[in-house]
Amino acid sequence: MFTLGPAEWQAIEVTFRLCLYTTLILLVLATPLAWWLANGRSHSRVVVQAVVALPLVLPPTVLGFYLLLALGPRGVVGKTLEDLGFHHLAFTFEGILIASVIYSMPFAVQPLTEAFKNLGRRPVEVASSLGAGALDRFRTVILPLTRGGFVVAATLTFAHTLGEFGVILMLGGSIPGETKVLSVLIYDHAEGMNYAAAHSLSLMLLIFAFVTLFVVYSITRRFRVANL
Amino acid sequence: MTIHVKARLRLGDDFELKVDHELPLEGVTGLFGRSGCGKTTLLRLIAGLERVKGASVRFGDQAWQQGRRFVPLHQRRIGLVFQEHSLLPHLSVQDNLLYGYRRTPAALRRLHPAEVTAMLGIDDLLSRRIDQLSGGQRQRVSLGRALLISPQLLLLDEPMAALDTQTKREIMPFLGRMATESGVPIIMVSHSPDEIGRLADRVVFMQAGQIQRIETLHESLARPDSPLFEDSGAVSVLEGSLGDVEEDGVRPFGPPEARLWVPSVEQPPANHCRRLRILARDVSLSLVSPEHISIQNHLQVTIERIDPPKANRCVVACRTRDHQLLLAEITSRAMRQLQLETGKPVYALIKSIALLK
Amino acid sequence: MSLFTKYGQLIALLALALFTTTLHASGPLRIAAASDLRYALNDIVDLYREARPEANIEVIYGSSGKMTTQIINGAPYDVFFSADISFPEKLQAEGLTTTEPSVYAIGRIVIWSNTLDAASLTLEDLASDAITRIAIAQPDHAPYGLRAKEAMQAAGVWEAVQSKMVFGENIAHTAQMTESGAAQVGIIALSLASFPELATHNHHLIDNALHNPLTQGYVVTRRGGQKSEAMAFAEFMATEQAHNVMTRYGFVIPE
Repeated sequence: MFTLGPAEWQAIEVTFRLCLYTTLILLVLATPLAWWLANGRSHSRVVVQAVVALPLVLPPTVLGFYLLLALGPRGVVGKTLEDLGFHHLAFTFEGILIASVIYSMPFAVQPLTEAFKNLGRRPVEVASSLGAGALDRFRTVILPLTRGGFVVAATLTFAHTLGEFGVILMLGGSIPGETKVLSVLIYDHAEGMNYAAAHSLSLMLLIFAFVTLFVVYSITRRFRVANL
Repeated sequence: MTIHVKARLRLGDDFELKVDHELPLEGVTGLFGRSGCGKTTLLRLIAGLERVKGASVRFGDQAWQQGRRFVPLHQRRIGLVFQEHSLLPHLSVQDNLLYGYRRTPAALRRLHPAEVTAMLGIDDLLSRRIDQLSGGQRQRVSLGRALLISPQLLLLDEPMAALDTQTKREIMPFLGRMATESGVPIIMVSHSPDEIGRLADRVVFMQAGQIQRIETLHESLARPDSPLFEDSGAVSVLEGSLGDVEEDGVRPFGPPEARLWVPSVEQPPANHCRRLRILARDVSLSLVSPEHISIQNHLQVTIERIDPPKANRCVVACRTRDHQLLLAEITSRAMRQLQLETGKPVYALIKSIALLK
Repeated sequence: MSLFTKYGQLIALLALALFTTTLHASGPLRIAAASDLRYALNDIVDLYREARPEANIEVIYGSSGKMTTQIINGAPYDVFFSADISFPEKLQAEGLTTTEPSVYAIGRIVIWSNTLDAASLTLEDLASDAITRIAIAQPDHAPYGLRAKEAMQAAGVWEAVQSKMVFGENIAHTAQMTESGAAQVGIIALSLASFPELATHNHHLIDNALHNPLTQGYVVTRRGGQKSEAMAFAEFMATEQAHNVMTRYGFVIPE
């Protein structure tokens, strides 16, 4: 059943790399953003919240389309990069990485916002009064008390990036080793009527997705009890 | 030592916090007012948890907030204790206690774990998890943790509001000891006249976002219209030294010329500075020396002031032999029959006594 | 504040890491090809590799229109084999090509079915009630779809079949939809119907007088111009060997 050729391994490698980088970047970006959403007082929070949640409701093609326009050689971003002597980002790994970061943003921001809201301001205020500076507080109070939120955010981001298809198809152009991720390869196999290969990859993804979600739900249950 | 706070801040639709005051900081300063009057906000302003534009906070010669200068809380060395328990749930009792101690430069440490845990009676709890502590124990650990940063100032935000009466009684002596023994000035927010009477040396009265009055506890208790009387009527607080248990299980309180007998309670050891809280309605007056009567406590006093009657009852302020103020609440009829007037020596009969700290 | 500067540095570092990896050069020869070539071109690439084992070639299949858009938006393709020469011409007009667009084959369309004997079917039969689903490629951006539409219009059945049409994203997708039985009948490329697995079923060749010719053109892109491999492969397409494969898959080689 599982007959994986070089093309499959390459797609697995690209996919894994994409998921990993997306997760790491998103944790770095989403943490301060989620903190602000959970604890800020500015009225612009609602706007930002809506923007972050957009990928949940927008067809991936909308995001793919605008990113293609923006990151390509004629787009604002792509053209600026070219003028600076860099390569534009459409149909590159970096391009689909940016797309994934945007597309999976709600899956990182929402669990973290929720975790930070549950945490409340009190423990941080306490740590502050006990002489802990911002990074110290993050490391010794926020992180240990919202660990569950971070695990859920990371897992969901990883899993959601794994399931990404529409945006990557539009922006990535299905280039082996660069933008041809598993979901695109499966589509390709199905279109080429190479059903055996499509089967093994699909089944693999199915099992992986199930295990991931199973882990997430076990964690959320466990942490809700432990965090009280 | 004083703290100067100046701030204006809208709190709700109908009122704003508006302060520009110098608060003296010695012993315990009670910040008293109804809930919603802005006292917690004032406390958070002092702590630097509330960053209000244009406000200034000056502690002694340190400018904590002035113009663009803003010292964050973790650099102010303020001990904070909140209403509800705020221990860090992922740390043991010991690690909670030491969280701030470890972050305090060795040169600034004046209070050390051994003495603090002994003072608060939490030696046996050190290895426990937070969820294995009772409410009172948690609050004591919180107090200890705040003390262990050797703070310049302790801010207590209704530290007993979330505790039941029994636990309050259990923790009150520790708070009292902490105030006298640590030497750290304390600002304590409270809406309970009882707590203020027990612990405060000085009271800041707040109403609708403004500071109305700053006075000593005794000054505020000498006023017939004191807001501290709102709950249970007029109250007196007597100070004196408490002696050791004598036969029949009672302990002497105060000097021989104004001696009271207090039922023996186990906890507090003999100490030179204790407080008794006596409700005015528990005090009767007699023209003759009472004998053959079951009430044990009677003092010779002189009437100093008689307040106008309210609902046929009036409060009579008397001076004891050791020059403290004792209030008695009697009916207008009794006053007329006894022909009471200022300067008249009488006997005060005290039906019940609460030992405070 | 210091927290924000630290975050800023971290983000700048990540961005830098991103762009430095973007700078990697050249890489393999990337061929963008119309989906009708899916099997024929695979065979040709295999032949090419026999001759030049060191060649590093990747072929990406899709609809010609979509790939044209991708190239305009910067997709890194070196050679583009379109199902219709109008697309390479469009790229030339945009200044994105190195060579002149040139014709490499003429395509044909067929009626094919997995369940019916397509050899006995005509375009007129498609209007009958017995046939409930007909798949063609999206006429807007897939040349094979447009030609299928033209043929049905010429046969006078286009209006009658409207309600049973389904559209594949490209011609290979269309073939797959028909192969899976989701559509009873498909109008697909002869080159795909000639693929061994589909060739087990009969097909009906549609008269090429009924539609504009499927003049298939290719072009070396501006990007491909810098690679000798691109020109070499383009030349290989003109060899007898390659022509044989194309003919086997039902393409007509122009004079």
